[in-house]
Amino acid sequence: MIRIFKKEEFNKAVVSWLGEFQVIGPKRIGNKGLFYEPIEAMEDLYLGPGITVEPMKKFFLIPSEYLNSSSVPEKNKRLIVGANPCEARGICLLDKVFDSEYKDKFYIDNRQRTTIVGLSCIAADEHCFCTSLGGDPTDTRGMDALLFDQQDNFVVEIITEKGSQLFGALGKELEADEKKEWQKNKAKKKGLLKKKINAPGSLGHIFENEYWKEVSAGCLSCGICTYLCPTCHCFDLVDDERKKLRCYDSCAFSDFTLETSGHNPRPTKKERYRQRVFHKFDYFKTNFGENLCVGCGRCIRSCPVKIDISQVIANAPI
Amino acid sequence: MENIYQPHLAQIVDIQQETLDVKTFKLKFKDPSLQDSFDYKPGQFVEFSVPQEGEATFCISNSPTRKTTIDCSVKKMGKVTQALHELDIGDMVGIRGPYGNGFPLNELKGKNLLFVAGGIGLAPLRSLINYCLDNRADFKAITIVNGARTSKDLVYKTEYEAWKNAKGTQLHLTVDCQENNWTCMVGVVPKILEQIQPACKDSVAIVCGPPIMIKFTLPVLLKLGFCPEAIITTLEMKMKCGLGKCGRCNIGNLYVCKDGPVFSFAQLKRLNYEL
Repeated sequence: MIRIFKKEEFNKAVVSWLGEFQVIGPKRIGNKGLFYEPIEAMEDLYLGPGITVEPMKKFFLIPSEYLNSSSVPEKNKRLIVGANPCEARGICLLDKVFDSEYKDKFYIDNRQRTTIVGLSCIAADEHCFCTSLGGDPTDTRGMDALLFDQQDNFVVEIITEKGSQLFGALGKELEADEKKEWQKNKAKKKGLLKKKINAPGSLGHIFENEYWKEVSAGCLSCGICTYLCPTCHCFDLVDDERKKLRCYDSCAFSDFTLETSGHNPRPTKKERYRQRVFHKFDYFKTNFGENLCVGCGRCIRSCPVKIDISQVIANAPI
Repeated sequence: MENIYQPHLAQIVDIQQETLDVKTFKLKFKDPSLQDSFDYKPGQFVEFSVPQEGEATFCISNSPTRKTTIDCSVKKMGKVTQALHELDIGDMVGIRGPYGNGFPLNELKGKNLLFVAGGIGLAPLRSLINYCLDNRADFKAITIVNGARTSKDLVYKTEYEAWKNAKGTQLHLTVDCQENNWTCMVGVVPKILEQIQPACKDSVAIVCGPPIMIKFTLPVLLKLGFCPEAIITTLEMKMKCGLGKCGRCNIGNLYVCKDGPVFSFAQLKRLNYEL
C-alpha cells in the first residue's frame, strides 16, 4: 500500500507517536555527526541526506547487556524513524544469526517491540556501495514502512501490518500523476550510487594468498570497522558478579581467539583481517546464501588507516 | 522463550585427582528433573561456569550409558580452571549444554575402532570408549593407544583394568621416556602406532591429543592405509557461546562449537585447516 501526505501532517503524527512509542531517529549531535538517538521533540529528528556514524544494530544487539533470565526485558514499544535501507537489510542479516537455529530471546524481544520506518536515501557519498551487494536506496527489506521525500510531501510504502497501523489513516492514496512522479523519483534513486564493484563469488581458493598480508599491513587492530558495521555481531560473554554480560567483541583483536595455552589460531593481522573478509564474503554466503555486508561504507569512512573493504574485495586476486 | 545463555545450577558430588594438575569433577544438576532429562552423545561438551569467574568449555568425559553424573576433566590452566580447582565437593557451579555434534555413532557401527589419545585428550575418547564397551555387539575390534609424557600424566587410571579385560579390546599404554617400574610401552604415540601396525580395513581411527601429537600421528595413520574420511578428531578452540553466534571458533564456514567439535580429517582439509 502506498500513501501520500504533507510533511506537516507527518510531523504531527510523529508528535502523537511520542506518547505511544519510544521514538528513535537520526539526530545531529554537535559537530560529531548524526547518531540514532531517542527523539524528544520533532526538532530532534533529522530526515535529510547523510548517514549516521553508528548503525542501528545497537538497538537490537545491545553493546553490553545482561543475559540472565531474571533480567527484566524492556517491554516498551519502540519506533525507529529515518533508517537508511541498508540498515534494515543489516538487521535482516542479523536475524539469520540470532533468530535461527538457537533463538536469542534478547535479540528477538528487541526485534518484536520495534517498528522500523525507513527513509529512502536522499544522497549517497563516495563510500556507499549498496547496489554492488544487492541493495539499493529504495530497498524495503526489513522495513515496516519506507518514506520517500517528495518536495512538500512524504510518500510512504507500507510493507507490514506494523507499518499499516502507523500510516493506514495518514494522508491518502496516490493519484495517478502522483504515483507517476513517485515512480520516477524512485527510479532516479537507484542511480544515486556512483561506486560499483564486483563482489566475488567465493574466496576459498585464495585463502593462502599473500594478498591478505598486503591488505592488512596497515591495520591497527583497533576494531572500529566491526563496531560500526551494521552486520558484525561477534561478542564476548563476561561474568559480572553473578550475572552474565554480553559485550561486543571484534575479530580484529589479537586476544579474540587467543587460547589459555598461548596458542592463537589467528596470530597476526593477516589471519584476523582475512577472517573478517572471509566471514562477510565467503563463509556467511555458504551458510546463509548472502554476503554479510550491505555496502553502507561505515568501516571505510571511519578507518584510521583508510582500509577500504570494497577495494579489498574488488581487487582480490580471484 | 527460553534463555539459551542461562546456565543451570549443578553441584559437585565428587572430585577425582587424575594428575598433579588435572581433576575430574562429577556433577549433578540441582534440579533432579533436569538431571533425569539431560541426554547427550559421546563427544559433546558443556559450558561450565564458576560464578563470578566466567565460563569455559569442557567435553563430557563419561559415557551417556553411565550418566549418573556429568563428568568433566579439567586441567588447571587459566582463570576459570584455576578457580574450578579451588572448589570442593558440595560446591555449586553452572552448566549449560550439551553442545556440538558428538561422534558419528552410526558411521562407527560395525567398524574396527582405533582410539589414539595423548594426555588429557583421552577425556572425550573415554566417553566414546565406554559407550562402545556398553554396546559391544555394535562394534568390531577395539584398540586403544593412550600416551602421556610420564606415567604421572596418565588420566583415568582406574579404567584401564576394565578396558584391558574387555572382550575384543586391546589397550596400549605408553610414556615418552623409560621410567623405573614402568612395564608398558615407551615412545611417543606415532612411534607406537608404527610398532603395533593396526589394521586399516573396516577401521576408523579416533584421535585426540595435543596438536603436536596429532600433527605427527596423521601421516602415520595415512601410511597405515587409513583414508582421511576414516580419521576423526575432536577439536579444541577458544569458544564462548557454544551456539555458533559469538564468532571466534570457526574454521572456514563451520563453527567448532555447533558444527563440531568432531571432524574428519577429510573435512578439515577442505576447510584449509592447518594442524
